[in-house]
Amino acid sequence: MLKKGDLILIGCLLAAVLIGYGGLKLLGNGDSGSQRIAVIKQGDKVIRKINLDEVQAPERMDVSSEYHQIILVEKGRIRFEEADCPDKVCVKTGWLSEKGKAAVCLPNRTIIKIEGEGEKVDGGTY
Amino acid sequence: MEGRTKRLVLMALMVAQALVLSIVESWIPVPVNIPGVKLGLANIVTLTVIIFFSFKEALTVVFIRVLLSSMFGGGPVIFLFSIAGGVLSTVVMAILYKKASKVLSIVGISIAGAIFHNIGQLIMACIVMKELSVLAYLPVLLISGIIMGCFVGIATHFFSKALIKAKILM
Repeated sequence: MLKKGDLILIGCLLAAVLIGYGGLKLLGNGDSGSQRIAVIKQGDKVIRKINLDEVQAPERMDVSSEYHQIILVEKGRIRFEEADCPDKVCVKTGWLSEKGKAAVCLPNRTIIKIEGEGEKVDGGTY
Repeated sequence: MEGRTKRLVLMALMVAQALVLSIVESWIPVPVNIPGVKLGLANIVTLTVIIFFSFKEALTVVFIRVLLSSMFGGGPVIFLFSIAGGVLSTVVMAILYKKASKVLSIVGISIAGAIFHNIGQLIMACIVMKELSVLAYLPVLLISGIIMGCFVGIATHFFSKALIKAKILM
């Protein structure tokens, strides 16, 4: 049933996966040892930036727009705690604490990204 | 005019099947929590329509399916994502079926369709979220696209065989 082209296609795709992962690894290791900043965006607006290493007490944030949605921040980590969007991928993503990680809620257009402090310099390039 | 009526009924059945498949799909849990990782069962119907009918009909079925399924559960944003993925994958699969059937089997075409579904959704995500970092999901989506594309392709192979055997389509 399989034809030659199928195998070539799968081979090319697997190569693309490897290159993609490699590229992401390189990008992720760009800065090290700096502080972790959680950036919360909704649509194209940055709602808040939180330095995760300086969070004193746990805090809940209501970021509801199209859907009801709560973000929970603790020292060193952040997550979507609850949401009533259809797929709840954002909540299932769980805690974020490492740099470069992100949780996305497409229906509500909310995204939490963990960035490093050092990235401010890189920001000048675009 | 019997042919036209038959075609209309078959198209309606295809839409109904695609809709049911996308509902059934939402009951099956996927072990990874990445937006866009889906089984894509409704693609079985899209591919079947491409094989037995034409690109135009496939696009119609996809459009009605996406419209109805996002009305049942979803919303305007979900509709945007599904339509971007659905249309792009249908276009790619129809072109490949027409031009590259010699080198690609149904499985290969289905894999390409699954991957372009994901790419369409990612492009829409970039536009909606105004955030390029969602592209980082692409490698994972490629893997899930290969796996699910294989499955959908094999399912379509048997589905179309059964349709021919039952003399419903030829």
